[in-house]
Amino acid sequence: MRRISVSPFILGVCFLFAAAPLLAHHGTGVAYQQDKSITLQGTVTDWVWANPHCAILFDVTDEQGNVVHWGAELGNPHQLSSAGFSREVMKPGDKITIFGHPSRNGAPRLQFDHVVLPDGHTLTTKNVKGNGEKADTDY
Amino acid sequence: MSGTALSTFACDVSIHRSLAILTIVFRFCGNLSRGPSMRVYFRNAFLIGAAILGFSLGAFAQTYGTKGYSPGAWKPEELPKDLATPKPYNPRDLSGVWSTPTTAGYFERHSLNDKWIDTKDKKVPPQMRSDASPPPMTAWGKAKFDANKVSYGPRAVEPEFNNDPVSQCEPLGYPRDLWEANLRPFEFVQTPDRVLQHMQYHDVWRTIWTDGRALPKDPDPAWYGYSVGHWEGDTFVVESIGYDDRTWIDHFGNPHSDQMHLVERYRRTNQGTLLLDMTLTDPKTYTKPWVAETITFVNAKAAIFEEICSPSEERRFNDEIRDSSAAKPKP
Repeated sequence: MRRISVSPFILGVCFLFAAAPLLAHHGTGVAYQQDKSITLQGTVTDWVWANPHCAILFDVTDEQGNVVHWGAELGNPHQLSSAGFSREVMKPGDKITIFGHPSRNGAPRLQFDHVVLPDGHTLTTKNVKGNGEKADTDY
Repeated sequence: MSGTALSTFACDVSIHRSLAILTIVFRFCGNLSRGPSMRVYFRNAFLIGAAILGFSLGAFAQTYGTKGYSPGAWKPEELPKDLATPKPYNPRDLSGVWSTPTTAGYFERHSLNDKWIDTKDKKVPPQMRSDASPPPMTAWGKAKFDANKVSYGPRAVEPEFNNDPVSQCEPLGYPRDLWEANLRPFEFVQTPDRVLQHMQYHDVWRTIWTDGRALPKDPDPAWYGYSVGHWEGDTFVVESIGYDDRTWIDHFGNPHSDQMHLVERYRRTNQGTLLLDMTLTDPKTYTKPWVAETITFVNAKAAIFEEICSPSEERRFNDEIRDSSAAKPKP
């Protein structure tokens, strides 16, 4: 049985190198509960493609019909470009589902994890290395 | 796999990768000695080949540095094919785009000798799980350190309440901009009379004069100081002084004075690896020299990307996202 243990071992090693550290910037993680995740469905009001931080601003309508204006923070365009983001990837009016870590003080702010776009495509920064290189791609 | 890729593979892989491959090879050899069937041989050989190919593709990509891939601009298929031809290895040629390794589990350096803090509390965010160990500070240095409010390390406060120059897009200075090589690479450009260190973040060009001049006697302080360099064998030695004391050494808030003297020793040990040893001497701030642990850089895949920290864009981010995510101070 030991002979067939090579395959899972290799798979494990490959997985190890495919994994990548989460992006962090300017210490903003201190403001978020990184051990908790939430999911929100909303409408994009602005997709901010800017240095050194990008942001998704979006409205979420709660069960009472109240509209809450949310903001999610992301890394810089260099990192995001390598993860498939671009200046055109979202626009005001787009219906999105967004996943992230909530702020510690309960404010409607989010540390971005991933987003599902109107066409069902998912964008994440998880597979991007700290310097913007994609973990599993040879350019 | 080409010969070039093989040689690159041999010299560029990280220690982690080397150990992993050795482990696979040993396991395969162990299987041979126990006499498995030919089917198992072929299957294992295929798996090992695939693993090595996978690893070598990663190393191959790290080799060229200036292949020209530019996020948001040129795509690989838009570039001339011969960009992929590397120059022969020359230990006295530092040119290329360099970043720190980003393999999984690699500790991202942000100071001369920072380390993980051992904590099992999962609620402690990653930003607070590391710290630097500077030499004992003078009274002047300690007062400056205490005045620096940070969002990294054990003293971290929410970003709204720090006074980190980076949060306002103020100049990072040197060596702090170097630590950004975790996120943003730098490029060395060599000319007959100087070496230029082009930092991606803030788009800074640091000039290291190699025309034989000495350091200036009494320079006006500058954000990135004044630097001269010379070769000692295959080691490029850079000495710098004249730094503006408003910048921080690292995001932990460790300070420096205008008397900071840096000595950097760069060694390109193979095509894809650049090592840096650094000693910081600043008697106004520290009671003895601060010696860095050797810093490793590898060739980056992408070309330098324009990444100017825009004050107006940062201000909007701070207003609309950062400041409202932080708990307000109690009245």
